[in-house]
Amino acid sequence: MPPLYTKSKKVGEGTYAVVYLGHHTATQRPIAIKEIKAGQFKDGLDMSAIREMKYLQELRHLNIIELVDVFSSQEGDLNLVLEYLPADLEMLIKDRSILFSPGDIKSWLLMTLRGVHHCHRNHILHRDLKPNNLLLSPQGELKLADFGLARSLTSPNELLTHNVVTRWYRAPELLFESRHYTEAVDLWAVGVIFAELMLRVPYLPGRDDLDQIDVTFQALGTPTEENWSNVSSLPNYNDLKIYPEPTRSELRKRFIGATEAALDLMCGLLCLNPANRWDTERALLSGYFKESPDPTVPVDLPKLSKKE
Amino acid sequence: MSSSGSNLVASSSFTTFPDEQSQKQDMCPICKTDRYLSPDMRFLINPECYHKMCESCVDRIYSLGPAPCPYPGCGKTLRKNKFKLQVFDDVLVEKEIDIRGRVLAIYNKRELDFADLQHFNAYLEEVESIIDKLMNNVDLEETERMISEYKATNSKAISQNNQSREKEFEDFKKREQMEKDVKLKKVQLEKQIEEEERELNEMARKEILSKLATSQDANQIISQVKASVLKKTSARRRQLKEMMKSLSASPQASDESSKKRTTPFTPFNGDRVTKKTYHLKESYYDPFIEDLRGRKEYIASGFKTEIVYERILSEAFLGLGCFIDRERPVA
Repeated sequence: MPPLYTKSKKVGEGTYAVVYLGHHTATQRPIAIKEIKAGQFKDGLDMSAIREMKYLQELRHLNIIELVDVFSSQEGDLNLVLEYLPADLEMLIKDRSILFSPGDIKSWLLMTLRGVHHCHRNHILHRDLKPNNLLLSPQGELKLADFGLARSLTSPNELLTHNVVTRWYRAPELLFESRHYTEAVDLWAVGVIFAELMLRVPYLPGRDDLDQIDVTFQALGTPTEENWSNVSSLPNYNDLKIYPEPTRSELRKRFIGATEAALDLMCGLLCLNPANRWDTERALLSGYFKESPDPTVPVDLPKLSKKE
Repeated sequence: MSSSGSNLVASSSFTTFPDEQSQKQDMCPICKTDRYLSPDMRFLINPECYHKMCESCVDRIYSLGPAPCPYPGCGKTLRKNKFKLQVFDDVLVEKEIDIRGRVLAIYNKRELDFADLQHFNAYLEEVESIIDKLMNNVDLEETERMISEYKATNSKAISQNNQSREKEFEDFKKREQMEKDVKLKKVQLEKQIEEEERELNEMARKEILSKLATSQDANQIISQVKASVLKKTSARRRQLKEMMKSLSASPQASDESSKKRTTPFTPFNGDRVTKKTYHLKESYYDPFIEDLRGRKEYIASGFKTEIVYERILSEAFLGLGCFIDRERPVA
């Protein structure tokens, strides 16, 4: 019997997995095979591999990467067969030769929010949203990937780890080391990505965890008991420099191309207090998506100029 | 991978030494005047041969009428009135822009003038090949003859097209100006509002102080004044909102009527569950969850009991009404 999938070339290597390019033998559909290195860990498989498998099996959505199959090889390695997505949003943001139109940004944000909405309505937190994890199909569709840090919400008294999400995209409640955060952490990350899409540079680039707190509040104002009740009871809320909240005209100056509705949406996503932060439904219903220009059709979105 | 990319960019931008280049640019090749000594020197070029020289050289050589280009081996006869300021650093770019401007003023048909895309593309190809020939000095005489022939036979259509193009450009300018005005007005309005608000607050503070001096019931006075201020500010805000609406409506209205969507836009891509399979009650008896409601750390983290109840219910009914057979992709 011929093999179901063929592995051709190695395209990347992470801490716990190697990614190969391959094909589904029957249909010749290109796929990515993520081979989990076994044996490296004493107590079985790496946690993130299990998480990725567990949640991707549950989720089927146009804007979430498809887990095609799972198999184990003879050596006992675990293999995840994923849909092959050649580019990610970070590459596009960094490619200075590409110009983003307002419609392009709207389209990417819309697809991101749709994907996150699907996760959240199934009560799954992604917890690692960043441009690098938003992959793009050759047809231009954006898909959430890397569910290695994802988890489902369970009993509310269970402690969640605060050491999640790549630093620049970390919500303030995570910076304060809250152990009971909600879906709102993902929406903060989407807000930072939105800002990054408009600026073309990372919006809140902290050098380390401490600096991240400083950078975040310098840009968005330091939270106080007034706009965020009980914030001072969070473990890491101390020794804060007090920055004023940015005024609307300051934000307008920073985000020159942004319309009022775009700023409304961004401020809603980057609301310091997680209780008042917009959820996916509110964000998707925002006026930003209804006003002109229309979001660009995925096929017409900018692509990477050339492959090396 | 990313580091190698940035190296590539860095190396490509330093292919020419910046010092050498700027030195060359800052000296007139004819009279050797240096920018260091005469800082307001300007370079001019003539589209005949694109050799550059400083303004005083042009005055000196061409004041008495047409004369040959002073560059050795050039020999082209130049006239003073054709000299112009160089816009682009690269002479080749400058030349191409000139040629393009000249050719496109004659070959000015548009897509609407053709029966289909194929003919239009053929026409564009022809125009580009003419520009290319002029650019690279291939078949110069032949091409020039072709152009003048075309100009003679199509003179009426050419002038018509040019006129309509000018009108379009004017419209564009007008629209741009209008948008600018709208933005300026908006900023002014906002500033005004901000200032008024500040004044109002200051006034309220003073009023409170003066009233407190004469009366005893402090709380009542403060709340009274605050209410009156709030009334005023909210009225102002409403005014601003209406003004903004009318301002932003005017340029957009023409925009939207020109194009229409083929399919209606749905933010959820038609995948939104609005009809819930359960009904969420105001409250539930669950001492365990209710206990968390009062804990500070939970409140600060954005925890809400409704959301927990909603999740529990949603999880209980998740998957009801889903039929796996229907969702399974057809093999």
